[in-house]
Amino acid sequence: MSRKVLICDDSNMARKQMARALPDNWPVEVSFAHHGEDAIEQIKTNQFEVMFLDLTMPVMDGYQTLEAIRKDDLPIMVIVVSGDIQPEAQDRVKKLGAIDFIKKPVDKERIQNVLTEYGIIGGNSDE
Amino acid sequence: MNEAIKLSEDERDCYQEITNVAMGQAADRLARLLNVYVVLPIPNVNIIEINEFKMTLKSLEHNATVSAVCQGFIGAGIAGEALLIFNDASFSDIAKLLNYPGNLDQHEELEMLMDVANVLNGACIQGIGGQLDIDFSQSHPMVLGQHCSIADLLSQKKNTWQRTMAIEINYTIEDHNINCDLLLLFTEDSVLHMNRLISFLLDD
Repeated sequence: MSRKVLICDDSNMARKQMARALPDNWPVEVSFAHHGEDAIEQIKTNQFEVMFLDLTMPVMDGYQTLEAIRKDDLPIMVIVVSGDIQPEAQDRVKKLGAIDFIKKPVDKERIQNVLTEYGIIGGNSDE
Repeated sequence: MNEAIKLSEDERDCYQEITNVAMGQAADRLARLLNVYVVLPIPNVNIIEINEFKMTLKSLEHNATVSAVCQGFIGAGIAGEALLIFNDASFSDIAKLLNYPGNLDQHEELEMLMDVANVLNGACIQGIGGQLDIDFSQSHPMVLGQHCSIADLLSQKKNTWQRTMAIEINYTIEDHNINCDLLLLFTEDSVLHMNRLISFLLDD
């Protein structure tokens, strides 16, 4: 059974960039959400392992999405991916339960490192 | 004759995302300077007629007085103007954050406006340039309308374009009465050129 990953961003380009930046040999099925509300609906009906979440979005932004996940105790690891690199933004999302913060534009190596650090993928031996 | 500039949905999305990253870098600089949290909006990207733009600006006019700093940028065949518009009501809060004592005289307000403009305009322009691999040179910032009306402000800036791509970012600072609009205006020729530059980002 392949693992599922959700990418939530209002920008089509950002969603594609994020999908391209995932590790090459990571056997995952990638789904996309356009904003927080869309993501929450998908999380409630599907078992996702990880979500990459943008902060600045219409309808429901990243902070609200994290709050909703916490409130309903949804089982998903969230990595925030944002252009908002203020230290305060990083603190806030971590307090709201995000496991890590990746700044945009995304970089393949950084994503690989974060996923490895949290044991989501294996280390260098991951083939 | 110029071909009329226009943006596809993908191109608009791309400029919005590039701006999103650039304004985040600019906000981070300002947040560190003032020790605050800057609330980031979703940037607006539009092709507008200059005349329409004048009207938009004029509609702001009843909104108390504003001060604006204009700063040109140019590089790799792309040119534009960054226009930072401050509501004057923001001054006293910024002054507190920058530890200016007492009431500000006009000279101090000017100095403060330039400081903030340098941070926001500079970081935003360089942020966009960085993503497009362009090294923009910036002209010296110019105060357009210290305590003058929008109409005065507009009459000072000669219009050389009919249409422009306008990127609008409305920054607010959390827990403070500080609000400013950063407008990035690109010339028509620049937009055609930039559309070619971003096409590589849009490739599947």
